[in-house]
Amino acid sequence: MTVQAFSERRDPKAAGPTPSSSARAYPREISLWLFVVPSALVVLGIQLYPVLYAVYLSFFDYHIGQSQPRFVGADNYLALLGQDRVWASLRTTVILVACSLAVEFALGLLLALGLYKLTRGARIFSTLIFVPYLITPVVAALFLRWIFAARWGLADAVIASFDIFPPDWLGSPVWAFVTIIVADVWQFTPFVMLILYAGLQGMDEALLEAGKIDGASGPRLVWHIILPCLRPQILFVLAIRLMDSFRTFDSIYVLTGGGPGTATETLTMYTYALAFKQLDLGRASTLGVLTMLIVTGLTLMIISLMYRRERGAF
Amino acid sequence: MRRLLGQPLVVFLLSLFALFSLTPIIWAVLISIKQPADAFAIPPKLFFEPTFRFHYEIWVERRFVEFFLNSAIIALGTVFISVPLGTLAAYGLSRLESKMARSYLMGLLVIRMFPHILLLIPFFIVARSLSMIDTYPAMIAAMVAINQPFTVWLMRSFFLEIPRELDEAATIDGCNAWTTFTKVILPLAKPGIVVTSLFSLLLAYNEFLFALILTGSNTKTLPVAIAEYGGEDLNYWSLSAAGAIGIMLPILLFMLFFQRHLVRGLTIGAVKG
Repeated sequence: MTVQAFSERRDPKAAGPTPSSSARAYPREISLWLFVVPSALVVLGIQLYPVLYAVYLSFFDYHIGQSQPRFVGADNYLALLGQDRVWASLRTTVILVACSLAVEFALGLLLALGLYKLTRGARIFSTLIFVPYLITPVVAALFLRWIFAARWGLADAVIASFDIFPPDWLGSPVWAFVTIIVADVWQFTPFVMLILYAGLQGMDEALLEAGKIDGASGPRLVWHIILPCLRPQILFVLAIRLMDSFRTFDSIYVLTGGGPGTATETLTMYTYALAFKQLDLGRASTLGVLTMLIVTGLTLMIISLMYRRERGAF
Repeated sequence: MRRLLGQPLVVFLLSLFALFSLTPIIWAVLISIKQPADAFAIPPKLFFEPTFRFHYEIWVERRFVEFFLNSAIIALGTVFISVPLGTLAAYGLSRLESKMARSYLMGLLVIRMFPHILLLIPFFIVARSLSMIDTYPAMIAAMVAINQPFTVWLMRSFFLEIPRELDEAATIDGCNAWTTFTKVILPLAKPGIVVTSLFSLLLAYNEFLFALILTGSNTKTLPVAIAEYGGEDLNYWSLSAAGAIGIMLPILLFMLFFQRHLVRGLTIGAVKG
């Protein structure tokens, strides 16, 4: 996924082969495709084929240890769609994704504007803020576990020093939810910030000056000039965060394991439990396929938004 | 005037967020170098005698060095297969202008969006039937496949910066497609290859979900080892923190070296593969 893909407009002159090369364009094209073949074989063989195999499995009853999968038609789908746990995990996923995305975008934009406004030291601040994003996600989640751990964590120590009884962060359904959102915000806001900041740096300053001359200031400047200019970066960042937070696994696994009970169980966590705890590979594939359909739907929505811009409708 | 007045406020807000970003890391560093009794004293102890006993214990006595080697083998193996394949494909795709090439690139983006858990299930079944669970090749194959779309897109962005006139000049001088690539274009793409390799390395180093299922006692990687590491005594916290800090250090080095290229790598790959 690239920002480029979100902003690339085709140069009409570059669209066709140049006259000098058109005579030999055909054999050249074939040899260029030969460069793509090895990589394409890997993608087809180790990525597309497994996905198709999983789609195939989703119509079978297949548990680990069973010798042959047994065809059951759409039974897996019907069974899962009738399960409360599936709908609960879908709801959990949607709420987690929506909350984290909203907070990360708001904070990321604020930070990017701050960096942009800063006359010096922007580089140091962006580096410091950026550290959490690159840390191994499992390690990042552990760091936060030590902040939110009951009794011994830093959060409890700080809250207790104000003589307030601290909540059971990871043990109560609502607080566990909040903790996971905080973890996501902590690790991924820097990413949103960096992309938006890069967009701001590429912005035409003359536009801003023009806005100021017309008397716009503060929020109006942001809303009417900066945000429209950042459209490709905003779409990119939202698309990436949407897809990635939809499949968040590491932080939930480490922080709550989906608990307490199934309070923080997302679609990915439930698929994992189906496959590797209940050993029901058929149903796990089914849930994976359903997740894929949801994510693909959302993604297509974003791609169509992006193409609308390319046609100049926005 | 406004600009000057706003500065302290901006600096304050950014400092506040930087503090939010760094506190969990500093806290973990403190846990790893304090005696357990001090680490969990309330209110937190500010003055203490630092100890590196836990760092030594977790990395040497509890075999984390071995897990590091496993991580390194898998990450390097991934880079050595994924980057050459991706570089070749990226060159071809950067020079092709047909609709098919564009669709293929879009297809790669779509593949990047697949839920990893969905890929993991068939991977597990195949690896199990070939008795390849807990072997390096299984994990490397999975990482290569997952990294391919990212590698191709990132390398392509570097090739797009090399003017096509060079290709045409080389053709006129009698190079065929292959020699044009190896003798003229590839040397110019070296910086791109370095950046792509490092990002692929990071992706493989950080991977958890696949490692959790595909590796075992012989090939366990650091993220799995640290997530599994448990125990009820208080020393566990200190040891675990020491392990976590050690896992983070190479990444900080990586950051120092690659600050300049971060934005590009991220806009194209969004590291959390």
